[in-house]
Amino acid sequence: MLMFTLRRLSLFFFTMVLLSMLTFSLRYFFPGDMLINLSGQINANTAELKQLAIDYKIHESIFSQYWQYLTNIFHGNLGLSMASQLPISTEISTLLPATIELSIIALTIAMVMGIPLGFIAAIYHRKKIDNIILTFAIVGHSFPVFWLGLLVILIFSIQLAWFPSAGDISLLFEIPQQTGFLFIDILLSNSPYKWQAFNSALAHIFLPASVVALAPATVFIRLARTSMMEVLETSYIQAAKTKGLSFIQIIYHHAIRNALIKMIRHIGLQFANLITFVMITEVIFSWPGIGRWLIVSIGQRDYTAIQNGLLVLSIFIFVVHIFTDFIYAALNPLAREHNHGS
Amino acid sequence: MNLLDIRNLSIELKTKTGVILAIDRVSLTMKEGEVRGLVGESGSGKSILAQAIMGVLDDRWQVHADRFHWRNIDLLSLTHQQQKDIISQDVAMIFQEPMACLDPSTTVGEQLEEAVPDHQLTGFFWQKNKQRKLAVINLLHKVGIKNHTKCYRSYPHQLTEAFCQRVMIAIALAKKPLLLIADEPTAAMETTNQGQIFRLLASLNQLKNMSILLISHDLENVTHWTNNITVMYSGQFVEAGTTEQIFNTPYHPYTQALLESSPKANIELPPKSRLTTLPGSIPVLQHLPIGCRLGPRCPRAQKICVQAPKTTNYHGHQVNCHYPLKEIY
Repeated sequence: MLMFTLRRLSLFFFTMVLLSMLTFSLRYFFPGDMLINLSGQINANTAELKQLAIDYKIHESIFSQYWQYLTNIFHGNLGLSMASQLPISTEISTLLPATIELSIIALTIAMVMGIPLGFIAAIYHRKKIDNIILTFAIVGHSFPVFWLGLLVILIFSIQLAWFPSAGDISLLFEIPQQTGFLFIDILLSNSPYKWQAFNSALAHIFLPASVVALAPATVFIRLARTSMMEVLETSYIQAAKTKGLSFIQIIYHHAIRNALIKMIRHIGLQFANLITFVMITEVIFSWPGIGRWLIVSIGQRDYTAIQNGLLVLSIFIFVVHIFTDFIYAALNPLAREHNHGS
Repeated sequence: MNLLDIRNLSIELKTKTGVILAIDRVSLTMKEGEVRGLVGESGSGKSILAQAIMGVLDDRWQVHADRFHWRNIDLLSLTHQQQKDIISQDVAMIFQEPMACLDPSTTVGEQLEEAVPDHQLTGFFWQKNKQRKLAVINLLHKVGIKNHTKCYRSYPHQLTEAFCQRVMIAIALAKKPLLLIADEPTAAMETTNQGQIFRLLASLNQLKNMSILLISHDLENVTHWTNNITVMYSGQFVEAGTTEQIFNTPYHPYTQALLESSPKANIELPPKSRLTTLPGSIPVLQHLPIGCRLGPRCPRAQKICVQAPKTTNYHGHQVNCHYPLKEIY
């Protein structure tokens, strides 16, 4: 397990190095003045520009520029947003938690809905239930997320008025920011209306999270269905049947775990897709997250924001990948050992 | 007393193009403490027959029988679930490729533990875990695994095939079965390991009076370990008798051909010449011949062989042929 951890960490390190090189190279592709793009100081005068050139080591070799770039990242010195003139680091620290919250909740909904449905479909293979679940999966998969978002707002927010359509909490509540994660902040706050605020936040996150979750959930249904079907065909399930175990025991003790092993890596891969859906959904539901901020920044040609927003989102996706790898290893004893020559 | 008494068991496979009769009226009896070999080429329906006895075939297969008795209980008069309950209480099965038959993500110990039936444990629920563990260790000792703690914690991929087969036998022994069905237990195993597994099975048979149905394609190897042998070909019953009868005086042309195809029977053949074999190969399920299925390949076949022969019994030596080789001995 130690070897496995070290391997994952080294993979993480080198991917981060490559990623930083990529974002570093972006500065040469953006139009306009490189210094202004980097610092975001659009109104800088000549003296300030000179100081910036020294700060960013712009006249030195490319290696010291890159080193300076890394040092800046580690010091949280990411420049100013060209649009709002606020430091990027503070913007990201307020916006990223909202996105993490939305994506994690959406992923949880997708998994809780998708995986059991897929298992049920596999167990009742070629029966009516299987067909119904599969039809749902294909229909759900074909919904474009932006259209579904608008549709959901029309029906549940405007017509039925069950859920709010925008933002992450009602404006009535004032929650002091501590961690950035709204739900944790609400629980940490000592406001007398804590639970009302919590309910409001829940009502706000329900629609966007469900919209984001639909497409991944349908993918999970199909993944879970195929992997469970494969597992049910294997000889250890046949052998377990002759042991005299009941069908439910076989499913619980042997089938579910092995089917999860088969699909857990695909869940990690789906996460990058899910982030794309989150970005679009954030725009539709005016969710104060990094995805919406990034899309707005692209519209405003806010190069400082684009550069750093991409870096932060990629790191987040990659951290989730590594995390799913650890879950995979925890479930699968075969993955924990180093497999030279096998 | 007959442990298992099956008369004219037929198994049909329902496919999109129609119903295929995979097993055609096979009879099988097992006595207590008997080791019976079930021999036939691959594709002759041995494993299907074993799975039908265990009742683990899925609903694509349909099983009929004239008689299906387990220790004088008529299983045919019971529901499928009752049949399964009775059978799984007293019959255990081990398979070929034992590593694939153990759950790869669970430790060997856990898999052994869940095989220990609840009624063997006494006392309160907090004592049961300890008893279960003790039972598992005993089982491992019984199959000749001395280092039980290491084996207990191992995952199946960390053990060798022969060790996995021992674990499978231990799992089978957990419910103290009266009959063990061993479906090619030593396929894809080295000869030394094969010998170990067979010796283990033989000792279990002698010490615990456990009957064993040994399924194999290797007639010559099986004869070392069995009292009686049943031969099958392409889903049909061919011949049954004591090992001596089958080995020394085979009445059916197919059994004779099987024996003659072994290198031992061809010891006086000149080097590099071909072994004696029947022409052709075993028919596929979709194109089964009518009557005796050996017909197209049989050296003694005649016109009447397009009708299925009736089983004749010569002092316990049953043969299913119109022209048995009785007169040549």
